[in-house]
Amino acid sequence: MTLYGLYYKRSKTMKELKILLIEDDTIEVMKLNRAIKKLEMSHQLIEARNGEEALKILKEDKNLPDIIFLDLNMPKINGIEFLRILKTDEVLRFLPTIILTTSNNQKDMLECYQVGIAGYILKPLKYDDYVYKIGKTLDYWSENELIKII
Amino acid sequence: MVLRFGSVLQEMSDDQLKIYERALKRERAARKQAEAILEKKSAELFALTQELTKSNRKLEKLVLEKTSRLKGVFHNIIDAYVVMNIRGDVLEMNEAATKLFGYDLAIEPINVVSLIYKADLKYAMDSYNQLLEHGFFTNYRARIFTKDKQIRWVHINASLIYDEHKKAIGAQGIVRDITENQLSAGIIAEQQKKLSAIVDYSSLAIILTQDGRIIQTNRKAQELLQFTESELIDLHVKDISLKDDHDISVNLMNQMNQEGLDHFVVKKRYIKKDGSKVWAKTSVAAVRNEDGSILYQVALIEDITEQIKNEEDRQSLMQRLEKSNDELQEYAHVVSHDLKSPLRSIYALVEWMKEDNIDSFDQATLQNLALIESTLEKMELLISDVLSFSSVSSGEKKLAPVDINELIEEIRQTHFFPKHISLVIKRPLPTLNVDRVRVLQLFQNLISNAVRYIDKTEGLIEVDAVEKGAFYQFSIGDNGIGIEKQYHQKIFKMFQSLNKSKESTGIGLAIVKKIVDNHQGDIWLESKVGKGSTFFFTLRK
Repeated sequence: MTLYGLYYKRSKTMKELKILLIEDDTIEVMKLNRAIKKLEMSHQLIEARNGEEALKILKEDKNLPDIIFLDLNMPKINGIEFLRILKTDEVLRFLPTIILTTSNNQKDMLECYQVGIAGYILKPLKYDDYVYKIGKTLDYWSENELIKII
Repeated sequence: MVLRFGSVLQEMSDDQLKIYERALKRERAARKQAEAILEKKSAELFALTQELTKSNRKLEKLVLEKTSRLKGVFHNIIDAYVVMNIRGDVLEMNEAATKLFGYDLAIEPINVVSLIYKADLKYAMDSYNQLLEHGFFTNYRARIFTKDKQIRWVHINASLIYDEHKKAIGAQGIVRDITENQLSAGIIAEQQKKLSAIVDYSSLAIILTQDGRIIQTNRKAQELLQFTESELIDLHVKDISLKDDHDISVNLMNQMNQEGLDHFVVKKRYIKKDGSKVWAKTSVAAVRNEDGSILYQVALIEDITEQIKNEEDRQSLMQRLEKSNDELQEYAHVVSHDLKSPLRSIYALVEWMKEDNIDSFDQATLQNLALIESTLEKMELLISDVLSFSSVSSGEKKLAPVDINELIEEIRQTHFFPKHISLVIKRPLPTLNVDRVRVLQLFQNLISNAVRYIDKTEGLIEVDAVEKGAFYQFSIGDNGIGIEKQYHQKIFKMFQSLNKSKESTGIGLAIVKKIVDNHQGDIWLESKVGKGSTFFFTLRK
């Protein structure tokens, strides 16, 4: 078993991220939590079960997240609908949003990129692969210069 | 005598003598005068006689000339010339007449009545009566029988011949053979009849116009527009056209008038008598005078209301089909997502169980957990393949020229080929106008199949292509395990994997078949068990 966190040396410039995960599946939420833990990262994860809840959090919380992980297939407001709402908001539109999904539907991808996303990550089947991908993605965003929106 | 008078005189008195002498004197003078007159008259008479003889001779000569000239005319006239008595017995005929009627007057007598074609008898008799009454007839046209019972059409101008007492004693006629004319006139009339039948019974509406005015229509035009023939003749084209459409044809009509456009076709709507509209394809051609000015326009009008409706139906059907195809595609994606998500969760849960109990689980449990994982992987592959299969037929095809050589190279670069297997392109492959993604999938599936079933220590996969008419026939051959003949059809069906293996879902070849079908091609294979298989397929050039 090759664990990502064990052989990867982190740089000193890496920031701790505040991540908003919008996901309706309990196990998926657990997966991300466990992956961050396994990677020995100290990012802060805020969970929203759906789009409405996420919007509520974003409106109330004065301390906005650095990035958003968004699932596409959700009840009520689906991922793309949520994305559209986000992009019409004067402030929230600046939040980098990364799609985290199992669907590589060409149509969905085109639509997402058109509306405006910061990444499109396909969830692999194998858990190790998942951990690896999440590690890479979070590392990348930790190295990014992020704008703080007041 | 004078002496005798002298002796008498001596016996007469002097007075008496004197009287006699005076009388004699007068008598002498008178005689002298008469003699002078007589002499003068006879001289005059002589001169006159001389003159008369001269002019008589001239006259005779003239008459002679005329007669011979007439005779010449009579004989040389191209038309038949016939002289008959008042009973119709032919007295004289020229050569042309002899030739026309076939009778020789020198051999047998002819009466004109015997020449008359029976059906024309009444017309002939009427004409004869007219001849008697007015002294002539002209433009007689009828049929006659020749001696050998052939029917000829003739044209006759005739006049009566009178004697010195102005009594009709016969008639003369100039007879012209018009059979040929009549025949061609008949042919023309027949053609006209045919033509008007064609025009009248045409399934196309036909309208003749002049400066936009309707001057003639056929039955179909009347039927289409619901107007009678006479109603239409009063109308202008714009009266039966929808305004917007009419403006377009007016524009074209102007081009026809001014720029010499000879023909145009428009799709326009006409307004029927009841106000309803009819879509029609109208083809307008100009009929011009010799100077190029337009005599009239012929419009052929085809009712395409039904056609347009069908086209609209077809389009809406296509749209519905496209929509339902899109929906199906969407559905396939959603289903595959919904099926894949739980697999991920199960996989994560199994992984966590292993992680959390790494020290307490025994080997058998760990093995079972590994089996769950490989089953999940198989399931994942299956879902991906089903989705891929359903995607082949849907979505718009993006046809573009694709170099198949490059395609094979791409597969060589992106796929894993074990060291003992070589992939060979036998000869340069063509460039085809195809859907790149699908054709890549096609070659990929066939080549990875070949790789999978090679059991020899030196594996060989050969790609080849030959031209076959409008198609290219490709082949992908391997020296693998081969396929039994009985399965050659079956393997292209869904879920028909011959070997249960980790990588095989039984959908790969079904996808291949579908892609080939979508490119109007064929696919088949030749194989020898233990020796290898060659898959052949055709793609349209």
